[in-house]
Amino acid sequence: MAASKAPRPVWVIGGNRIPFVRSNAQYAHASNQDMFTAAVDGLADRYGLAGERIGDFAGGAVLKFARELNLSREVVLGSKLAPETPAFDVGQACGTGLEAAILIANKIALGQIDSGIAGGTDTTSDAPIELNEDLRQILMDVNRIKDPKKQALTLLTKFRPGMIKPEIPVNREARTGLSMGEHTAITAKEWNITREAQDELTYNSHQNLAKAWDEGWQDDMVTPYLGVEIDGNLRADTSLEKLAKLKPVFGGKDGTMTAANSTPLSDGASAVLLGTEEWAKERGLPLRARFVDAETSAVDYIVKQEGLLLAPVYAVPRLLERNKLTLQDFDFYEIHEAFAAQTLATLKAWEDPAFCKNRLGLDEPLGSIDRAKLNVKGGSLAAAHPFAATGGRIVANLAKLLEEKGSGRGLISICAAGGQGIVAILER
Amino acid sequence: MSNVELKSAPGAGGLYLKAAIGMTPLAGTRKKELPDTVVSLEAQPVDLDRLAAFGRVTEHTLTGSLPPIFFNVLSMPLQLKLMTGDGFPFPVIGLVHVNNKIEQTRKVDAAEPLGLSVRVQDLRPHPKGRQFDVISEARVGDELVSKATSTYLRIGKPSEEAAAEKTEEIDFSALPQIATWSLPGDLGRRYASVSGDRNPIHMHDLTAKAFGFPKAIAHGMWTKARALAAIDNKLPDAFTVDVAFKRPILLPSKVGFHVAEVDDGLNFSVRNAKKGTPHVDGTTRAA
Repeated sequence: MAASKAPRPVWVIGGNRIPFVRSNAQYAHASNQDMFTAAVDGLADRYGLAGERIGDFAGGAVLKFARELNLSREVVLGSKLAPETPAFDVGQACGTGLEAAILIANKIALGQIDSGIAGGTDTTSDAPIELNEDLRQILMDVNRIKDPKKQALTLLTKFRPGMIKPEIPVNREARTGLSMGEHTAITAKEWNITREAQDELTYNSHQNLAKAWDEGWQDDMVTPYLGVEIDGNLRADTSLEKLAKLKPVFGGKDGTMTAANSTPLSDGASAVLLGTEEWAKERGLPLRARFVDAETSAVDYIVKQEGLLLAPVYAVPRLLERNKLTLQDFDFYEIHEAFAAQTLATLKAWEDPAFCKNRLGLDEPLGSIDRAKLNVKGGSLAAAHPFAATGGRIVANLAKLLEEKGSGRGLISICAAGGQGIVAILER
Repeated sequence: MSNVELKSAPGAGGLYLKAAIGMTPLAGTRKKELPDTVVSLEAQPVDLDRLAAFGRVTEHTLTGSLPPIFFNVLSMPLQLKLMTGDGFPFPVIGLVHVNNKIEQTRKVDAAEPLGLSVRVQDLRPHPKGRQFDVISEARVGDELVSKATSTYLRIGKPSEEAAAEKTEEIDFSALPQIATWSLPGDLGRRYASVSGDRNPIHMHDLTAKAFGFPKAIAHGMWTKARALAAIDNKLPDAFTVDVAFKRPILLPSKVGFHVAEVDDGLNFSVRNAKKGTPHVDGTTRAA
C-alpha cells in the first residue's frame, strides 16, 4: 500500500431500483442481467452517469447461472455507463448488496477510487436449473473419453431414466438440511416470538411502505420496469385480522410463521452510487449520507445451534464498540425482515441480559430500540426480498431518510444464509 | 383513400397462405398503381412475454424500453394485410427487401400502449426493376415515436432512369470487425416464432429452395436487430438507423460484425466471416 493516509469520507449519493415483484409474476421472463441493467440505467439517468467512467462496480446475485460468472461486468457493458468501468461480482447470500456497498466504500475511503456503484439482483423466476448431478458426472466422464464409440457405450451403460430429473435450487442450508424458514421456526420458538407480534411487525411494514409510495417518497429511487410501477408484494389493504387468518407455513401446525410474516420468493434489482464529496460536487450531485463503518459476523448454527439468522446480533455490538456508540444512538434502524420472527428475535436478543452476558460477553444488555424508528418506510416483508437486491434498497432508503432529517445516524442490519450478519452505519 | 382500421392484430400465418395463393393471380386482375390504403391498429398494450422472447432471439437486454426493430414485429401483420390485399399490384412473395430505415424520436417504454399504421408509397424505378416504400408508423397517443421505411424491389425490367440514391459514401468494407457470430440453422424458425414472419424462405431449406434460395436464409430484420442489440448502449434516445440488405445470409452461417464510431453515430456492417462479402451495411445517426 502507498503512503498511509487517513481514510476519506464516503458519501451515498443515491440509489435506484426497479419495483420488486413476487416470483413468476411480471418479471417471469426477465433475467438477472436484464433487471440489473434496468436498475443501473435508471441510476445513470437520475445522476447523469451516461458515458461516465465509474471507479468500480460491485454487484452480484445469489441465484445465478454458471454463464453469469461475470454478471456485473456484463451489466456495465450493456448499460449506459462507460464501458471503461471495471466491475466484479460479489457473493454473500442475502448480504450481497450491502457487502458490495462495503467493498466499494472501502475502496473510496482508501483513495483507490473516487466513485463506485454497488448493487445486486435476483430472480427466482428465471433461476438456474441444473442437470441431475449423477447425469452431470457421467457426461463429464464421457467428455474425458476420446474414442466416440467408447463415449456412446459409457453413456448408454451408465445412464438411468431417473437422471432426467433436473435439480432445482432450493432454499436449504447444506449442513443442516433445513430450509431458512425451518431454521427460523426454531429461533421463533426459542425466543417465544408470538404470532401476534410477527403479524404486527408485518402489518407495520406494509403500512409504512404503502404510505411511502402514497407520498411519492419512493419516486426518485425506483424506475418503473415492464409496466410495474410499485412493489408487487405490497398489500396496502391488509389488516391484522386478515393476517391472523393465515395458516402457518413453518414450524408445524402450531407454528407462528405464515406466508405473510415470511418474505416471499421475489424478483428485482437495485444499485447505489457512492463517491467522495469532491467527485459528487464536481458533477452537481447530492451528498445524502456518509457510509461510516461496517461489520460482518458469522455464527455456528450447526454444532453450537445458534440461530441461523441471528448473526447480526453479534456484529452490531462489535460495530457499536468500535464507533463508541450505544444501540440507542440511532435515529433510524433498517433491519432486514427476512422473517418477522428473525427481526423480533434479533431485537429480543439485544434486550436479554443473559444472552448479552453469556454469548456477547457484555456486562449490560444492549437494550431496546424505539420501535417508531424501525423500518419507517417499510421493510422486506412488504417490499419483498430479491436476495442480493435488498442491500441496495436499504442503503438508498436510509441515506434519503438521513438527508431529509438533516443530521442523524442510521443502523443497517442484514442476516444472510450460512449464519452470517452484515451491518453498517450511515451518518449525516 | 380507403382505410382499414383494425381492433386487433391479424394473424400473420393465414396472410402468408393468402400470399402464397396470391402468387398466381388471374391475368389482368392486378392493379398497376400502389393502393392509397392505410391499415391501422388502434392502441394496444405491448405483449411483454413476446418482447422478452424477441430479446432472447436477438440478444437484446430486457431493459424495459422497446428495441427499434420490435416496432416492425408489431406492424408486420398490418404490412402483410396491406400487401396481400386486393388492390396491391405485386405478389408479396418474391419481393426483395433492399433497404430499411427507422427514425425513432425517443425511447419508448414497454408499458406505453402503441397505435400502429402502415401505408405504401412512391413506386419508382430501380436498376433491377421497380421499388416502393412501406411506411410503418407507431404512435403513443398522437405522438409519432417510430417511423420505419422498408424499401422493396420487384424484380423486372431494368430501369435506367433509376436515380442513384445513396448520397453518403461510406467504405463499409474498411470497418474493423469486432465480433463473430455463429448463426444456427434454425435461426429462421426461431425468429419466425417471435416475429410472426413465417415467410417460407426463412423456415426450412426445402421451402427456401422452392423460392430459389439454396438454403433457408436469415431474416434481414433479425440481422438488423442483432446488430442494434450489439450497439444498443451507444444509441441516443432519438436516432435514425438505415440499413441496406446486400446479400442473404444462408443458414447456418458465421458472420463478422464490423463497426466504427463516427462523429454523430456509428457505421456498421454484417459480413460473411470467411469471404468478407457484405450481408447488411448500416448507419446510425443521432436525430
